[in-house]
Amino acid sequence: MAQRQVIKPVSLRLPSEMATKLENHLFPGDGDEHGAVIGAAVVETDAGCRLLGRSLFLAEDGVDYIPGSRGYRMLTADFVRHCAVTCADEGIAYLAVHNHHGDDNVAFSGTDMASHRRGYPALLDILDGPPVGGLVFARRSVAGDIWVSDDRQVELDHAVVVGRSQTLWYPSPRKVRVSDPQYDRQVRLFGDRGQEILAAQKVAIIGAGGAGSLINEYLARLGVGHLVVVDYDRLDVTNYPRVVGARAEDLNPRPRWKFLARWSCRKPAYKVTVAERTAREANPNIRYEAVVGSVIEQSIAALLVDCDAIFLAADTMQARLAVNAVCHQYLIPTWQVGAKVVNNPSGVIEDVFSVVRHIVPGQSCLWCSGLVNRTQLAEEAASDKQRAAQQYVEGVPAPSVISLNAIACAHAVDQYLFTTLELQELPVEVHWMKYRETEPYVTVELPRRDPDCSECQRRLGAGPLKALPVRAS
Amino acid sequence: MMKPEVEQAVAELRSAFGGSAVAVCPKEDGGASVTIDPVDLGPGYVPRQTWLKFLIGFQYPYADIYPLFVLPDLVRADGKPHGEGITVTEFEGERALQLSRRSNHLNADIDTAALKVTKVIQWLKDK
Repeated sequence: MAQRQVIKPVSLRLPSEMATKLENHLFPGDGDEHGAVIGAAVVETDAGCRLLGRSLFLAEDGVDYIPGSRGYRMLTADFVRHCAVTCADEGIAYLAVHNHHGDDNVAFSGTDMASHRRGYPALLDILDGPPVGGLVFARRSVAGDIWVSDDRQVELDHAVVVGRSQTLWYPSPRKVRVSDPQYDRQVRLFGDRGQEILAAQKVAIIGAGGAGSLINEYLARLGVGHLVVVDYDRLDVTNYPRVVGARAEDLNPRPRWKFLARWSCRKPAYKVTVAERTAREANPNIRYEAVVGSVIEQSIAALLVDCDAIFLAADTMQARLAVNAVCHQYLIPTWQVGAKVVNNPSGVIEDVFSVVRHIVPGQSCLWCSGLVNRTQLAEEAASDKQRAAQQYVEGVPAPSVISLNAIACAHAVDQYLFTTLELQELPVEVHWMKYRETEPYVTVELPRRDPDCSECQRRLGAGPLKALPVRAS
Repeated sequence: MMKPEVEQAVAELRSAFGGSAVAVCPKEDGGASVTIDPVDLGPGYVPRQTWLKFLIGFQYPYADIYPLFVLPDLVRADGKPHGEGITVTEFEGERALQLSRRSNHLNADIDTAALKVTKVIQWLKDK
């Protein structure tokens, strides 16, 4: 019998449209058992292994899923072969699925486990690399037996359905610890379970300026356990009033010894340094990665692939394209935030708004919606010297006001909380929100959706199988 | 080293401009600087032939091929000014005429660098 070893936790992420199709197939209301196969891209990081739902094969009852010779039902050899070869061709994991009755508690039967032992070694040979496994679903739970190799198997830790709302499934309800009393008032809304979910989250913030620094403080004070904050920029006198937590000495750092002041040429602090200090003051236990650089660098984009959420608070088209791709490819819910002041050529204010765009893997996309400007992408790719030579009008900074940023950031963090903690049932359709002081209502935009989009459709759940649109390392 | 998408674009340019030399200088970020020489602009310009230079950014095919550059002393044969979208500037330290033709509504699947360059040359000829 294969020996069980303790290896890194394995989790599964499913885009919500795939999860809904699977749920409708497994639980049509007949109380019977049904089968399917999920093809999943494999993301391995220091924190564990994520399986990303990439393909779904539904087994037709009586054709692909038939009465079993040893158990109640079984997938036919032809169906298994077809799915396994398709997964092998794409280099993704093969996960056989069936359902049991029940609600928040599910486990494999002895017959199930025996069938894994009989069948999975051969499937591992066919796949030649990616794992093979079985998943059993009940209404609100899932258990998994994942075979990394003949002698290395691991149980699925949990599954996450990523959509407008997010759902967490475990094999059985988890024991929840009582939260730290400092969170008492918010625990009255989130519950101890919600507070524990926040503590286990890894969230990235791209941009630590006027918008990102606010999100940084909100998330740290909420008790998010792990933040990755990315910005290449330093403080200066023009952004100082908007960067939360910035101090005068960050702008004009003094040397440790006074007599060196005359020769000192220390530069202002990086924005991420200020952000880290702010977050640690709010939550000394936080795990914090302050990253000086740009998300369009391969090595920095790689830090995002096992995040639970991303906030995009940077204003370049290059960052939009890269983060949008990470969101769909690695099934990570993302919020783009910003505020904009539009002047006409005479300088008269035409529009002022704050905006929050929830980018849901497979459902809403900055590329489909025409929010990544291709000319600007080309301009941003040129060197600073070349851009200057091309005589673009730079040096006229856009207006920026902390309270306009705060409107967008607070709403984005609220949406993150409601989505992640399952506080209330949310509408299935994704809405993007614009807030204007001149209007007594919120403007709602429905994101455009191209059914053949290269980003939100073809990258969906591809994980490391596709290269990200970032700089070569 | 060029990214695969950029290498593909270069291969398509070499195929589309078979009668010209297509020189490529790979960039560290995965993009490339390209020179096509010669490009025939027809009797409407003096000189009739020019080099054409441009950058393929590392985020191609999402990023447009923009702007493009030709000989700095290129003039119209009829003596008229070049008009909108053409200005004297530099490309990678060398004087050049900048051709500013944006394509914001391209389809990244079908609108290749070769197609964009061909369209810009045609636009210049038709001016």
